[in-house]
Amino acid sequence: MNKEELIIETENLQKKYITDTVETTALAGVDLKIKKGEFVAIMGPSGCGKSTLLNILGMLDSPSSGAFRFLGQDISKATERQRAKLRKENLGFVFQSFNLIDELTVEENIALPLAYLGVSKADTEKKAREAMERMGIAHRRNHFPQQLSGGQQQRAAIARATVSNPSLILADEPTGNLDSVHGREVMSLLSELNEAGTTVVMVTHSPSDAEYAHRIVNLFDGQIVTENLNVRRHATELL
Amino acid sequence: MVQHYLKSTWRNLTRNKVYTAINVVGLAIGVASCLLIFLYVQHELSYDKAFTKHDRIYRVVNNLIVGDDVEKASITHAALAPGLAGDYPEIEAATRMIDWNKKVLRLEEKALSIDHVFFVDSNYFDLFDYKLLEGNPKTALTEPNTMVISEEVAGKFFANPLDAMFSTLQIGGDSYKITGILRAVDAAHMKPNVLISLNSLPAELRERFKSNWFSTNSYTYILLRQPDLANALQAKLPDFVERRVAPARGDTKERVELYLQPLTYIHLNSDYLWEAFPVGNKSYIYIFSFVGIFILLIASINYMNLATARSVKRAREVGLRKVVGASRPQLIAQFLSESVLLTLLSLLIALVFVELLLPSFNSLTEKQIPSTYFTNPTLLLLIIGIGIFIGLVAGSYPALVLSHFRPVDILKSDKTPQGGGAMLRKALVVLQFTISLVLIIGTVVVYSQMHYLKKQDLGFTKEQVLVIDIPSGDSAIVSKMPVIKAELLRNPAITKVATAGMIPGEETGVIIFNVERDGKMTEKTMNTIWVDYDYFDLMGIPVKKGRNFSKDMPTDLDNGFIINEAAAKALGWTDNPIGKRIGGSDTTSGRVIGMTEDFNYKSLHSQIEPLVIMLAPENSGSLLARISPGHFSETMTYVESTWQRLAPTHPLDYTFLDDSFNQQYRAEEKMLTIFGYFAGLTILIACMGLFGLASFMAEQRTKEIGIRKVLGSSVSDIVLLLTKDFALLVLVAIVLACPIAWYGMDKWLQDFAYRTQISAWIFILSGLAALALAILTVSYKATRAALTDPVLALRSE
Ligand SMILES: Nc1ncnc2c1ncn2[C@@H]1O[C@H](COP(=O)(O)OP(=O)(O)OP(=O)(O)O)[C@@H](O)[C@H]1O
Ligand SMILES: [Mg+2]
Repeated sequence: MNKEELIIETENLQKKYITDTVETTALAGVDLKIKKGEFVAIMGPSGCGKSTLLNILGMLDSPSSGAFRFLGQDISKATERQRAKLRKENLGFVFQSFNLIDELTVEENIALPLAYLGVSKADTEKKAREAMERMGIAHRRNHFPQQLSGGQQQRAAIARATVSNPSLILADEPTGNLDSVHGREVMSLLSELNEAGTTVVMVTHSPSDAEYAHRIVNLFDGQIVTENLNVRRHATELL
Repeated sequence: MVQHYLKSTWRNLTRNKVYTAINVVGLAIGVASCLLIFLYVQHELSYDKAFTKHDRIYRVVNNLIVGDDVEKASITHAALAPGLAGDYPEIEAATRMIDWNKKVLRLEEKALSIDHVFFVDSNYFDLFDYKLLEGNPKTALTEPNTMVISEEVAGKFFANPLDAMFSTLQIGGDSYKITGILRAVDAAHMKPNVLISLNSLPAELRERFKSNWFSTNSYTYILLRQPDLANALQAKLPDFVERRVAPARGDTKERVELYLQPLTYIHLNSDYLWEAFPVGNKSYIYIFSFVGIFILLIASINYMNLATARSVKRAREVGLRKVVGASRPQLIAQFLSESVLLTLLSLLIALVFVELLLPSFNSLTEKQIPSTYFTNPTLLLLIIGIGIFIGLVAGSYPALVLSHFRPVDILKSDKTPQGGGAMLRKALVVLQFTISLVLIIGTVVVYSQMHYLKKQDLGFTKEQVLVIDIPSGDSAIVSKMPVIKAELLRNPAITKVATAGMIPGEETGVIIFNVERDGKMTEKTMNTIWVDYDYFDLMGIPVKKGRNFSKDMPTDLDNGFIINEAAAKALGWTDNPIGKRIGGSDTTSGRVIGMTEDFNYKSLHSQIEPLVIMLAPENSGSLLARISPGHFSETMTYVESTWQRLAPTHPLDYTFLDDSFNQQYRAEEKMLTIFGYFAGLTILIACMGLFGLASFMAEQRTKEIGIRKVLGSSVSDIVLLLTKDFALLVLVAIVLACPIAWYGMDKWLQDFAYRTQISAWIFILSGLAALALAILTVSYKATRAALTDPVLALRSE
């Protein structure tokens, strides 16, 4: 495996939570390599550390120990400011719920990352429109989040996660709150993005969602137990 | 980005209407009160600054000293102004004002009694550059029998005040031509209504003034060439007294010391007697400034408290913004700009409030504070600056706390980080209520002290006494006094009449007496009043030893003196004062003929001082009439018609003794009213904050309330649960406020010779009132929350 192609590389990543009395080990030495352009699904029982891992990969949280390299850059030594910069320039997030700001319209929500990137007004409008059209919610641009269905909200969230053309999208149970129809819709959108070149790392409980990924990482008690290539997906690709 | 902030701020404000209203209106009330106080304080501090030469104008005052007695008098000898101006070239000009008090001005049939009439030197306007609407300030006061009147007085005689110019008014038997109309200055320690050319006085009298170093009758003002010459000149004044004053005064034992008072210093700092107008009180300036700052503080605390309480709701927004790339400084900027925008909005509303309230505030304070202050660009900038400052300070805590949230903590679950905010919020609520309670207790104590003073036994009966002004100098009326008295007594409702030089509450005379002490004659300065034979009887003042003045004793007129008990004590005449020798310059035949019980002839601020009462039945001053209760209007009609018939040249000018005596507490009562309003406002603002907090708390605990209700809690259980935390905070505030208020008010009461006990009830009732108000505020919200359908509450989660 060529090192240049790696977007994420962790070595013996550990995360411990220390509360008043108990110490919880959420991650107990995770070694994970993710190549550019990959679609990786992380699975495992509740409480095994999936969200913790994803948050560390997304630089929202920092590991207790271990190495984490993003695009070859050592993150463990990065300051909060540098991480915020890497985050806004390279990453897009989709969560299970609580994705949108209630006080902003769909369009404003989607344009928000561009505002923080300092993109010009004209560019912002153009990019936001493109993202909305891609996700099929352009007709709802002036609505507020509460006025949308769950599926529409999630599409808006994906539009926002992708509006700044991030190289990596992190999704934590993106279909968790959706029915199967809307869930499939969201998954195919993520798939399309991946095909267009974006790396996707997704946490899921749903085996059918995991089917969309190239590779499935199984986590148990904070450790990777198995890594499977998704044969069917590779097979279709080979065709 | 800025546009983005403005938009999301606006959305946030309109989404949360209750929150916004409480914050904006609460802060606006706070800022408006603070601005009114600021205007008041600024007005007080601006006294006499309207005169362009104010930094070079000084008033010369004198201390008249006999032994240990010092009389600090603001009126000086008439010879002082010309004397100083002649001797010291650094004095550019010196001018005198001689108070002629109240006079009846007559234009044809129209006669009006006008107070604050002064004689002034012709160079008066060289120092005090009043704006003259008509007339030439250089020449208006040079000719004899000319005068300059205020626009207001002119308006009383003419529909258009400017028409008064060059017309002639009568005062007594003399005519005066109006040679100028001035625009009054409200913020000035002297507010003359009429200025008469001093050259109107007879030439020989003016000539005598030049060498009169005996009686004091003039306010003396000097204009220095440079402001910084004052200290040097002050140092030369003892020499002036030595050279010019002392020799002219011969061998009087009274020493004179002269002092310069900067013009702008007089209003708030002068403690000299015989001011023509009441001076201000510096401690009120301090008290009000504190109250203003406190009100602003309480309103700002509301802002902080509500914003941090709301941070719970906004945590998710913060988390998401961080996730999509907001940096901490950007978030801080967002919250601060929100806060500043809100305060600027409040400021705008506050300015409208001030504009609307200023007329009532002016009538409350009896000032004429112009709202034109707001067109002053520096003040406007200052106000905006203050607004931004409050916005930054009040918004900084929420901004820092909110921007500190870590997105993982928020996004992982619905739970929001509580942080130290809750503790701080509680502390701030306690602070708010402590301040409010101190102000409220203070108000109640002041009120009860005022009440106590008014119902004090003064040693005389002040009720049902009519006080009619006898025009000084109108010898025709003075000579008719016996007839008027007899006529009044013919009405059965008028039981007693008397005349007196001064009535209780007015300033007394001060005279250096020669008195017999241990067999030797010594000098002693004492307060003096002049009365007639019937005074003690009418006033109900008992003569404790000796006897009252008697018509059967012709010697009483010159040689009879009645003293009060305090004088007997002060002079060491403890066994029997009757027959002791006493007198002015003649020390041979004066005798003490009686001693009265002490009565409060001054305000109850001070202990009763020694007093000497002399007989002067012909002396003008006031005509007193005791009237029996009932038939008031008939009696007054009778008095009026009698007066009209016997003294037609002078309109009847009367007050009541109890009213005029209580006038001395007017300044305090005025302050009390204002203070009461502001204390009320602080508690109102504090309760508004509490209401906001309770709303958020109820909202936050909706789920808990729902579960409790499902599990069987009654509405009252829940209301109690939600209310008791807040009640506890107010209880803590009560515990803190009581000692602070007690200490402060105990100190304030020290100023009074007669003071009420600070009753524990005041604390208990004020505390209970605040507690009740707080509980009412919170339980309203809590009841609404408790009454919500639990299913609804749970589903909304
Ligand atoms: N802030 C925290 N403090 C203490 N312990 C925590 C904290 N966050 C997570 N944990 C613990 O770390 C472990 C991993 O949590 P994590 O949220 O990563 O699980 P997960 O795999 O995402 O579970 P789920 O599928 O239910 O979302 C859990 O045992 C959890 O209790
Ligand atoms: Mg999870």
